[in-house]
Amino acid sequence: MNIVTYAQVLHDLNVIKDEGHKEVILGLRDYSRFGKLNKTDYLSFSKRARELGLRVIFEWDILMCENDFATLAHELPELLIHADVLRVQDPGALEWGIKNSTLPLQFIAENGNHNLIALKGWCDHANGRMDRIVLSIELPKTIIEEYIKTLNVPCELLGFGRILLFYTPRKLLAPLVEDKYSYHEYIEALGESEESPHKGFPLVENKHGTFMFHIKDFCVLDYAKDLADYGLHSLRIDLRWSDFSLIKDIWNVESLKEKHPQDLMKGFYLVNKTDVLFPKLKNSRLQKREGNYIGEVIEAEKSSHLAIFVKNPKGLKKNDLLKFIHPKGDEIEAQIYSLKNLALEEVDYIPPHTTGIIQFVGGVWVKSHVFYRD
Amino acid sequence: MIQRHPEVLAPAGSLDKLKVAVLYGANAVYVGGQKFGLRTAAENFTLDELREGVAFAHERNAQVYVVLNSFLHDKDFQELPEFIKFLEEIKVDAVIVSDLGVVKTVVNLSKIPVHISTQASTLNVEGAKFWKSMGASRVVLGREISIKEAGKIRREAGIEVELFVHGSMCMAYSGHCVISNFTQGRDSNRGGCAHSCRFEYSIDMPDSKERKKAYFMSSKDLEGLRVLPEFINEGIDSLKIEGRMKSHLYAGTMSKVYSEALKYYKDHGDFLSDDLYYWEEELNKVSHRSYTEASLVKKADADSIFNERENSTEAEWQMVGTILEASPKTGIVMEVRNAFNQGDEIEILPFSTRAIKIIANEITDIMMKPIQRTRPSTLVKLPYVAGVERYHLVRQQVKV
Repeated sequence: MNIVTYAQVLHDLNVIKDEGHKEVILGLRDYSRFGKLNKTDYLSFSKRARELGLRVIFEWDILMCENDFATLAHELPELLIHADVLRVQDPGALEWGIKNSTLPLQFIAENGNHNLIALKGWCDHANGRMDRIVLSIELPKTIIEEYIKTLNVPCELLGFGRILLFYTPRKLLAPLVEDKYSYHEYIEALGESEESPHKGFPLVENKHGTFMFHIKDFCVLDYAKDLADYGLHSLRIDLRWSDFSLIKDIWNVESLKEKHPQDLMKGFYLVNKTDVLFPKLKNSRLQKREGNYIGEVIEAEKSSHLAIFVKNPKGLKKNDLLKFIHPKGDEIEAQIYSLKNLALEEVDYIPPHTTGIIQFVGGVWVKSHVFYRD
Repeated sequence: MIQRHPEVLAPAGSLDKLKVAVLYGANAVYVGGQKFGLRTAAENFTLDELREGVAFAHERNAQVYVVLNSFLHDKDFQELPEFIKFLEEIKVDAVIVSDLGVVKTVVNLSKIPVHISTQASTLNVEGAKFWKSMGASRVVLGREISIKEAGKIRREAGIEVELFVHGSMCMAYSGHCVISNFTQGRDSNRGGCAHSCRFEYSIDMPDSKERKKAYFMSSKDLEGLRVLPEFINEGIDSLKIEGRMKSHLYAGTMSKVYSEALKYYKDHGDFLSDDLYYWEEELNKVSHRSYTEASLVKKADADSIFNERENSTEAEWQMVGTILEASPKTGIVMEVRNAFNQGDEIEILPFSTRAIKIIANEITDIMMKPIQRTRPSTLVKLPYVAGVERYHLVRQQVKV
């Protein structure tokens, strides 16, 4: 299995080579979220990497609004001469790469893209030039295995590194700096939620905006053998906020864990159940409004009456047999023996989209749903 | 130069809100079904309600777009084809989609126009061209885009563009925030957003020994009324109002203000009018965070951060009810949402004219028994006032 990582200082390239790895991701400050290389650095890094026989991946993962995009895309061809692969995240950058470069393309599909139709769509669009697709770390292992075996493009997964939770182009930390007259191109801080138990979110502000990371770093190196067996092409090791020498310990996970100061987690690698709470976000008893549904009780005056707003095209008739479903779930049945309109006239029928007043039915509250009894 | 006038696209979290938005002037509404959208906690529409909503809107020359903007997992696709078939059958005017897999499914199975959701964070001409090549007819651009950039994207990509003009905003690039996923176990990109960006945080800053408490990730609300001419000049096709979870009063007021403002501009060619102050007052009568123009004109800066607790600023106005029926015979029957007293001044908001102020001197319950104070979730009657109709909204200034 291929290992891919980032180089931030020139010496990193030697370490990558010495460890037997064959690729390096270079982040140029203007194009990469956390890239630290200026143009001169990039050219020397690229030259050195190629001398060492490393494949140079140019990272363009900034999401760019049109004005910035137009400016920076214009300058890109001369930079890509010194790269072997273009790696992008924005669909616009992918589109640009297809039209304006002949380099192999890698697409970062880490946000969303939890279905094969989408993943195949990105690969197909690149017309045979998709060199690799970077899968989301929210995918569980069974799905990862399926995707690797189904897609005809090599797949990559983060093996070790920070989990990016939040990315905005706005500068959110600068307003908190005490010296209002100082300029900070780069700020690191820690955030602690006052409203949830989470403490120690790493925060970074740079020229591209503000980023928040999870309090724990991601690590699935314990499962590297499984991933290799599934056929995963590349495992990404992101040590941009760690000691780069840890690259030597990636196959000695216990040693790596000991040396790494941050707690680690495997995220959703074993299972992803991030939709199981959805049914609890609203009262499911009041969601059924099909079929025999008549409408809703909009007033319940004890010992006097119920007012029902009628939504069913059939309307409401005297002697109809009704079933009420209380917001708490209780079901109550009753027959209409008194039916009035809002002018308090006794009527036999209440048309749809109007309100009918019937006798009070014990146990029925406002917001109870009303159905024709089966 | 022939100026095109954009549509006003309002949110409708329920069938009633759809009707309110359309009656108050929205040219189009966006709604969610029971699945596939990003507002899992909203009431949303049943199939019957979708059918009725589309018919109601079409009868009044308004369009209905259905959100399918969740980032679906493979298993979620099982029920999608049947839903798409249903949407085509009831003649929805477009679907709003984020996920490439959903775009491909819709395009393969139907002829329903596809609008790319803001959740896909389309920010540049090339991005718009990509989605166009996938079969989309419109992109809802990211809220980081300026109006001028949106105009350029429209011209150079040759695709309709929709831009948010009003409402709450994600601080993050839409679709690129997974705080809820990893801290609450709720997938924000499938409708489970826990709004962690609105929380208060203590920040350890490198230059300070003391922790700073701040709502540093919370954005002010977008308000683009004063820059409407820019939208028109740049040929923006649709002005989107955020807020499917918001109230009837919100849906009605926003639809009314923005459609009236656009009409004024269409008729007069400018906004040089006292009406601008009136429209701004109207927008302020709906509960909101402090307003910002965010990135509509220049990149959003520190002033766009809402560094306050949610709901810390009490709304000066509240909705007290909606009109259920109004006729000389029955009088005005109102469904009460917030209590008011006999003798209070309340305002009934007509669909296309200024508010009708009345003093609620005579209030009865629906059995005609006089009452001095109304209660929420009850019906009350008031004497008939000409011009008042079903679905009119009723509001009241909150007493301090």
